[in-house]
Amino acid sequence: MNGVVEAAGVSKWYGEVLGLNAFTASFGKGITGLVGPNGAGKSTLFKLLIGQLHLDQGKITLLGEDPWNNVPLKRRLGYCPEQNQLYGWLTGQQFVETLLRLDGMPAAKARQEATAALKVVGLSGAAHRPTRGYSRGMRQRAKLAQALAHDPEILILDEPLSGADPAGRVHILRTISDFARDGGHVLMSTHVLYEIERVTNNIVLIHNGKAIAAGDIHAIRALIDEHPHAVRIETSKPRQLAQALARMEHVVSFEFPATDMLLVRTRKPDAFYRELPQIVSDTKLEVHGLESPDDSLDAVFRYLVG
Amino acid sequence: MSITLPTYSRLEIPLLARRQRVWAIIATGLRRELRRPAAIVVTVLGAAFTTISSIAILFVASIIPSGQAPDLTFFAGPASNFFVLFFVSLMASVIGAGLIADDMQSMAFTLYLSRPITQSDYLLAKAAILAPLVAMVTILPLLLTALVAAFLSFFSWTIALQAMGISIIVGGLLTLFYTAVTLFLSSLTRRKGIAAAGVFAVNFGLTIPATILAISIQNFSILYISPWDDYVAVASAAFGGPGTGIDWPGALAILLGVTVLAAVVTYVRMKAVEVVTG
Repeated sequence: MNGVVEAAGVSKWYGEVLGLNAFTASFGKGITGLVGPNGAGKSTLFKLLIGQLHLDQGKITLLGEDPWNNVPLKRRLGYCPEQNQLYGWLTGQQFVETLLRLDGMPAAKARQEATAALKVVGLSGAAHRPTRGYSRGMRQRAKLAQALAHDPEILILDEPLSGADPAGRVHILRTISDFARDGGHVLMSTHVLYEIERVTNNIVLIHNGKAIAAGDIHAIRALIDEHPHAVRIETSKPRQLAQALARMEHVVSFEFPATDMLLVRTRKPDAFYRELPQIVSDTKLEVHGLESPDDSLDAVFRYLVG
Repeated sequence: MSITLPTYSRLEIPLLARRQRVWAIIATGLRRELRRPAAIVVTVLGAAFTTISSIAILFVASIIPSGQAPDLTFFAGPASNFFVLFFVSLMASVIGAGLIADDMQSMAFTLYLSRPITQSDYLLAKAAILAPLVAMVTILPLLLTALVAAFLSFFSWTIALQAMGISIIVGGLLTLFYTAVTLFLSSLTRRKGIAAAGVFAVNFGLTIPATILAISIQNFSILYISPWDDYVAVASAAFGGPGTGIDWPGALAILLGVTVLAAVVTYVRMKAVEVVTG
């Protein structure tokens, strides 16, 4: 047992609601994906790892240490929350700088590292704009920048791709890969298996607070491919985009849930995500956000847990 | 199964002292307040109204012929200026109520605590944001009143300087009390409106009924439950002014006790708080 994260029989209750249920898993070095539908317990596990929740049962360690109220350990980790932000009036530069100052970094160094981190995530051009004006994808990148900027040993990323546009996704995934290539460890959660597949084969599946499977991603790929995968695309011209996407053979259906929304179901999500940027670029249509409802993954989980 | 390159080494950056990390929270918090028109208006109006009315109270008292030589007791009037209570309540509500509640609501608290700072660092910083702003109506007006009085030769510089010293102590006591109580209320909820209502309840919900009851049943010991009356008793005694119906040592003990209790309970609560998101 010498994993980056070790969890043994970890349980966490919120009153009568069970957040984690005897969760046992070992997360190795490099990138590990924590995959599970919304409400599976991913954020609870991450909050336990960053020491902001206290477990009710079991044992959990991060980099060999108990994370609860462990202040020195926080210097060694970079955390990117799913929804949180500091203050919307802060510019991207100020946002990252402020959090670096909280790390105890001198002002000049913080400014320099913030600039560098924003460049890494592709936000240099928007560094001096208030974050409240950022798109969701840009906010995700700004949060990734603050998590990276102090050069941590491990990144804990809670749904880092949620709501990101195609270009943003590419940037985020590339940044994560580069970080791991340089020897850092990454623990990232997602409910979209196909996103995580681009950066790692190593995943842990979580459902109803339990680790139900761990290991190679390809083993469950076959299961998932049996279920059409839904992708919700935010665009100002959903019908034109649907027309362009219709030439993909693996696309099963289109729905228009809102005037600026297109819901696509595909049997080959990996191919879909691969081909989409090119189609968007060729047709010059604007895509403001991509999201995958977790219904297909949920179906697989129901299958796995019987 | 896993990707590992054992050549990785971290860039070790020397960690600055706790003081500087706390200052980073203070600087961000102050910048936030100074961007809010409501916070600026309440602070400026509070400081202006309280100062002007305190000077007016002092001069009215000093020009009414009473046969009493100008001394420290004249400053008991400005110290118990009701505008202080009004504006300290407004400031605590407008500025203080959201200091922790807003961070909890927006989950900025999660980001703060994902950094190597402790809950006590965080609380200390929040107190350091609120206290100077509250002091703009609890200490500054009394200092300016004494200063103006000395400049206009209504009082000797000796008396004015003594008044300033006492003002810092009694004003500081009130500042600490409102800072601790407001942060305690703010830590109880994610909705700053509830914390703000709590501040008004502590002030006017206790002061006005206590005053009415004390007068109607002629039992002034009821005034001990009113923080404002406790403060006025202490301030009046400090300036050598007339008694207020309650003894200053008891009033001082209550103010200090509530301040310490609020601070300790807030600290213990924040230490144990778990950050829960959806």
